[in-house]
Amino acid sequence: MCIKVILSHCLKFRKSVVLEMQDPKSGVKSQPQRLVITAIPHAVTGEDIVNWLSERLLVDTEEARSVGSMLAALGYIYPLQQHKRLVIRADASLYRFQTPYFWPTQQWPVEDTDYAIYLAKRNIRKKGILELHEQEQYNHLHKWMNHKWDFIVMQAKEQYRAAKERKKPDRVVFECQERAYWVVHRPPPGTVSAMDFGLERRADPNANQVQGEETGKLAHSSFLIPLSRNFSRCSLFSVVSLVKYSSTYQSHDPFLSRPLPSNPWHTDDATYWTLNSHNVETPTKQRVERWTFSFAELLSDPRGRDDFRLFLKKEFSGENLAFWESCEDLKWGTAATMKEKAEQIYKTFLARGAPRWINIDGKTMEITIKSLKHPHRYVLDAAQTHIYMLMKKDSYGRYLKSPVFKETQKKAIAPEEHNDSQLEQNARTRRPSLSPIVLRQLEAERRAKMAAAAPVDITQVMSKLSRKPQ
Amino acid sequence: AMQWKKAVFLSAMGKEECKTMLDALNKVTACYRHLVIALGSTSDSQNLREELKRTRKKAQDISKEDRAEYERLWVLFSSSMELLEVDMKRSLEIGQDFPLKVPTRHLIQTGMTGSTTTVAARAMSVQNMKYDADSNIDTTDLRDLQCEIGQVSQMMEEMEMKVQVAPWAVEAKQEAGAELKSNMSVGNSSVGVISIFGCCFQVLYI
Repeated sequence: MCIKVILSHCLKFRKSVVLEMQDPKSGVKSQPQRLVITAIPHAVTGEDIVNWLSERLLVDTEEARSVGSMLAALGYIYPLQQHKRLVIRADASLYRFQTPYFWPTQQWPVEDTDYAIYLAKRNIRKKGILELHEQEQYNHLHKWMNHKWDFIVMQAKEQYRAAKERKKPDRVVFECQERAYWVVHRPPPGTVSAMDFGLERRADPNANQVQGEETGKLAHSSFLIPLSRNFSRCSLFSVVSLVKYSSTYQSHDPFLSRPLPSNPWHTDDATYWTLNSHNVETPTKQRVERWTFSFAELLSDPRGRDDFRLFLKKEFSGENLAFWESCEDLKWGTAATMKEKAEQIYKTFLARGAPRWINIDGKTMEITIKSLKHPHRYVLDAAQTHIYMLMKKDSYGRYLKSPVFKETQKKAIAPEEHNDSQLEQNARTRRPSLSPIVLRQLEAERRAKMAAAAPVDITQVMSKLSRKPQ
Repeated sequence: AMQWKKAVFLSAMGKEECKTMLDALNKVTACYRHLVIALGSTSDSQNLREELKRTRKKAQDISKEDRAEYERLWVLFSSSMELLEVDMKRSLEIGQDFPLKVPTRHLIQTGMTGSTTTVAARAMSVQNMKYDADSNIDTTDLRDLQCEIGQVSQMMEEMEMKVQVAPWAVEAKQEAGAELKSNMSVGNSSVGVISIFGCCFQVLYI
C-alpha cells in the first residue's frame, strides 16, 4: 500500500515534468523522425532530454539521465530505436512522448483482455509470426481466457480495420505507442519492469504512528531490553562464528554472488534447478563444496546423503545411516504408522541379534528399549543423537578423505555462465518439467527398491558362516 | 476520439445471429401448436403422434443450441460494454486534464498530427462526419459524459444481475490464430448492413 502511495506521488511529479517538456518555448527541442516514405514530427534526441532535465531540475548530467530513464521506464517517453530498452542515452538516439491514454499516472488496471487483443492484432500484422515470448503469452491467454476468445478476435479485427482509416504516419505512431505501452507493462524476458510493485501489504510501514508519547516510550524500551540482554551475553566467540559463517557461505549465497549458470529468477532459465535437482548423477562443484562445510550440510542434501551412503556401504557400516533415516521417518511420519515403524526399527536395529544391529552405549540402549514399550514420535531421539554424533565424529572425517568423495569431487561439473544467445536457445527448446506427483511416485519407488535390497550386515553374515559346520 | 473502438459492431452482429436462431425456434413452435390442436380429433393418428414427438425433439435441440449461442453472445456483449465503459471513464479523465478552450493549450507532442474524422465516420456508419459549430467541449460535454458513464455502469449492473450466465463456462467458437484467417478488406462490411446495426448503437448508448 505504501509503495502505491509513493508511486502515485512520483507519477504526478513525472506527469508535470512531462507537461513542462512540451512547452514550445521552454520545452525540449523536437525534430522530425525521417522514415522511408514519411517524416514523423515530435521526435527528441536523448541528449536534448538530458540537457533540458539537467537545467530544469538543477542536477548534474548523470542524475538527469537517470531521471530521464525513469520517465522511459514508467512509460512517459519511449525510444524509437531499440524499443525494448527503456533507458535514455545521452546521444543522438530518438525518443517520442507517449500519449496520455497510455500513461501510468492514473494507475488504471492493465487488463489481460487488452493484452490479448493487442497480441491478436500483432498476429494479424505479422501474419502469424510473433516473437517467442509473445507467442507463449498468446497461447497462455488463449487457454485461460478461452471464454472471451470470440470477443478478442472480433475486437482485434475491428481495431485493425479502424486503424487503417488513419493516415500512414499516424498509423505508424500508433503502432509505436501501443508497442511501447506493452513493453512497459508486459516486459519481454530478460528485462526488468518499473511496474513491479511487489506484494500488497495490509499495514503501511511508513504511515505516521499515531501514538501517545508514553506508549511510544514504553514500546521503545520494551524493544531495547531484550536487545541489551543479548548484547551482554554477546561474547567475542559468537561474533567470530558469525563472521566465519558469513565468509564461508558468501560465495554460495545467491543474493551476494551469482549462481551458475544463471539465476532462474532473473533469466527465466531453469538450468540451475535441473543441475541441482535431488538425484542428479553428477553434482555441481559448488554443491560438493558445501558438503565439506559441516556434516549437517552433507546429510541435508539428498545427493550428498547418497554419496555418504555409498561410502558407508563400502565400509560395511551402513546401518548407522539407515538407523538415522528410519528415526527421521518415524519423527516426520504419520501417527497411524508410528507403532508399526517403531516395532520395525526395534527388530531391525536394536534387538539382540538384529540383522543391522547398531552400536550404542548400554545406558542409551536401556532407556530406548524401555520407552519403546510406549512408542511416540520422539522415542528414539537419544539413540538417534548418539548415532548422529558417532557418524559426525568418525565416519564423516573418513568420508571426506575417501576415494568415493574424491571421485565425486573430480567428476563434479562447474557450469559456464549463461550468455544471451545460450538463453535464447534454451528458451526455444524449453519443455515443461516433471509434475511433482510423478516425482513423488518415483521417489517412493526408489525408496521401496532400496528397502528391498537393504544390505545385510557383514557381522551377521560372518556369524552365520562361523556357525556352519566346517 | 482516436481511441473510439467499434464495440457496437460486435453487439450488433449478435442481433443478426439472434434473429436467425429465433426464426428457427419460432417456426418449430408454430408448427407444434398446429399439431397439438389436431390431437384427439379425427385427424389424429399414429403418424401425428410421431410427428409431435419429432417436432418436440427438434424444438429441444434448437433451444439447447440457442442457449449456448445466447450465452456466447452474452459474453461478447458484456465484454464489449466493459471495454466501452473503461474507455469512457478514461476519456473523461484525460478530457478533464487537457482542456481545449484555454488561451494556451498544453497538449503532448506525440507525433500524431492527422485527423480522426474517418474513424468516427466508420463508427457512425456515415460517409462524412458532421460537426457542431459551437459545443462546450470542456464543460457541458464532460458533464454529459459523466452522466452517460453512470448510465452505462447502471445498465451493466442491472443486466449482470438479471442475466444468470457464468461467462467463464462459455466455450469460444474461434480457434487460436482465427484472426489470421478471414478476409481483411474493408469491403467485407457493406454500408447497407452497417446502417441496420447503426441504429442498434443508438439503443445501446442510451
